[in-house]
Amino acid sequence: MTSQLTAPAEIVEGLGPNRVRGKVVKRPQRDVAVQSYIPEVIRGIGITLSHFFKNTKEMALDQRNDPVLESIDDGINTISYPEQRRPYAERFRGVHRLTTREDGSPRCVACLCCSTACPAQCIYIEPADYGDDPKRGGYEKYPKRFVIDELRCIFCGFCVEACPCDAIRMDTGMHPAPYDSRDQFIYEKDLLLSIPGRDGKHESANPRHEPGDPTFPGIDRERGH
Amino acid sequence: MTLEMFLVYFIKAFAVAMFAMNVGVILTWVERRMRGMIQDCVGPNRAGIPVPGPIAAMGALGPALGAAAAIGYLAFSGADEAPEEGWGMVAFQAAIFMLWFTTACIARVVGRRGPENSFDAFIQSLGTPRSIVGLGLVLHLVTLAVGLLVDTAEVRTVLFRAGVSLLVFSIVGGAAYVALSVGKERFVRIRLIGLLHPAADGLKTVFKGDFVPPNADKFLFNLAPFISFFPALVLLAIVPFGPALCFGSTETGGIDFGAFQGVEAAGGVCESARLSLQVADLNVGILYYFAIAGTGIVGAALAGWASDNKYSLLGGMRAASQMVSYEVTLGLTVIGALMVYGTVRVDEMVRWQAEHTWGLFAQPFAFFLFFAASVAESKRIPFDIPEGESEVVAGYFTEYSGMKFSMFFFSEFIAVVTGSTLMAAVFLGGWHLPFVTADGIRVAVGETVYFEAALAPGAVLAISALGFIGKVLTLALLQVTIRWTLPRFRYDQLMRLCWRKMLPASLVNVMATAIIMLAIDSASPATVRGLEVAGDWTMVFLAGAGMAAGVAAIVFLLLPRQKDRLVVSTAARYAEAMGGTRTAKMEA
Repeated sequence: MTSQLTAPAEIVEGLGPNRVRGKVVKRPQRDVAVQSYIPEVIRGIGITLSHFFKNTKEMALDQRNDPVLESIDDGINTISYPEQRRPYAERFRGVHRLTTREDGSPRCVACLCCSTACPAQCIYIEPADYGDDPKRGGYEKYPKRFVIDELRCIFCGFCVEACPCDAIRMDTGMHPAPYDSRDQFIYEKDLLLSIPGRDGKHESANPRHEPGDPTFPGIDRERGH
Repeated sequence: MTLEMFLVYFIKAFAVAMFAMNVGVILTWVERRMRGMIQDCVGPNRAGIPVPGPIAAMGALGPALGAAAAIGYLAFSGADEAPEEGWGMVAFQAAIFMLWFTTACIARVVGRRGPENSFDAFIQSLGTPRSIVGLGLVLHLVTLAVGLLVDTAEVRTVLFRAGVSLLVFSIVGGAAYVALSVGKERFVRIRLIGLLHPAADGLKTVFKGDFVPPNADKFLFNLAPFISFFPALVLLAIVPFGPALCFGSTETGGIDFGAFQGVEAAGGVCESARLSLQVADLNVGILYYFAIAGTGIVGAALAGWASDNKYSLLGGMRAASQMVSYEVTLGLTVIGALMVYGTVRVDEMVRWQAEHTWGLFAQPFAFFLFFAASVAESKRIPFDIPEGESEVVAGYFTEYSGMKFSMFFFSEFIAVVTGSTLMAAVFLGGWHLPFVTADGIRVAVGETVYFEAALAPGAVLAISALGFIGKVLTLALLQVTIRWTLPRFRYDQLMRLCWRKMLPASLVNVMATAIIMLAIDSASPATVRGLEVAGDWTMVFLAGAGMAAGVAAIVFLLLPRQKDRLVVSTAARYAEAMGGTRTAKMEA
């Protein structure tokens, strides 16, 4: 019934005017049953149905093995989402979050590197000045608005790569939930700041050295030029 | 039209619409299970709906108490009259079934979570669920044999009373057990093997955002889903869901619903008033199907045109060309059936099949062509060119979202249901089951009668209607299976199949049918007689096949899990490598 290659590959003396040597691969044998499509279709339906009934029965009667505990199963195995989930890889790129400093303000300095790197152009940042802030004023900006359109986002992770301050991360382990309307996919700054990483923290693991700190590596007002 | 008749028509239409929707939901579930199974992804759709425990307990107890009260009232309202013949055994068998079924279910639950009280321990001491089922089956056989041996009026009365009491006890007991164990939980997830998932999805889409492309033709864009959905649903109007019912007539010639006379015999006519079990008793019959099915094309084409999207337009054009093409084959294959049956009315076709043989045997070739064309007509794989996602995104409904998308999606499933009902009615004998007549069961081949048993008209009606629904479900399941078995055709293959293979084949079928019918008309009476006996033998074959399928189903359900094949799925391997699946916290 099934089509199969009939002869093993063989070397012949060379074919055509240029004496090309090569393997002769015979066409698969096609008998009437295969060509008419119908018996094979019926066979296929039978296979699908038998799997369907067996699989459904085992699910309904709770006879399915746990895919991991036994990892040997008769038939096809399924993970019962959402009760069971596949573990995500450690570097799984989930929904973005904005990391914070110790005082809870965003680490982001509104340099626009991420929105420039973004191939989907889904990041919108409105930078603002810290103004007369004694510690940060004059050194850095902050994002007045930081918006990510999670519908446009292609989850490439370029924004994370581009960020010089480790301010944007995709280590939340979450995938965007299916919301009811499109505007719910527009993530504003407050929401992005409120999402914790996989370790449950809002900060990043990398320490930040701010101007004025003794560990600050660069030049600042106190240390002068 | 009197108010009464209006109500009757309303109930019929409502019931048919509900039937279509429910089968659609079941099909969606089957489809998702197959998808989960084959693509090894999300899987069994075990989504549950969280319900507060006390409410779930009431939901379990309420219907059970209602059913128990109804059964008790129906059984014992006749005071001291002896039950009619047969009912004692029916009641007893039903009681035994309920008893072992309830016990097995409880045993399974207890086996999984461990016994919590002395009753659980008692159930566990009865054995595994499997052994309880086996015990129940043995009990069925033993009581049947004993009942047949000792068949006196007193025994029948005792059997009946004991059976009804046991039935009421097991229904209420099972529900009470569920209510007690569920009532103390805060939330219960009602799951029903995921059957609620499609229904919940349908509800959800009502609340989803409804996007209309800025440059779309707003009016046509909004109209198209309705034009697509409506024909699929109203097609069911001409399909008879059961044999016609005979009633007495009132003075004005209306139906006297108090005087039920029975089911109309396949060959006969009701003496007075007649209530057909189809919504519209149209004299154009199956022509209505083609007229309305043609309208469905407009919906798809309009949706493609109005969306202001090239892919939608392509999809709409493909849908239009495909459906127009396959409608020709669809119509021509039915011509052969029309010639055999000599009528266009679907109910008369079913009655012809009940008298002679199913259309499957009278027109085997036409059945096959009709099936293929009907799959193509509902735009499903392998004929889903209009929505081939690798070519035209989602085809004509690319731009649709929310409930409108849902309507397109659902109209496809309802088209499957309609196609299946029509196929069941025209080719699979409709509500007719082998050897079930208006008076009961009568197994006869030619002149010889092998077995005869009277059945109440209500029982005949129930068996016939359930048989019809079973046929529809089987055909629909087959179509869904094809969707998960075959790859999509290319556009040229699709058109070539239609115009160069199926159309000539259906024309040949018409001609062959005509020649054979002429030959039969001029054949000797002995040949005609032989054909009739052959028709009876097809019924024997069908009954045998049905019984074999039933036995196979029971054996299949009782089969233990196979353990000889080692198949480690990719999901399992991956999950194992990652340290196992984890149980997730449920959060919205």
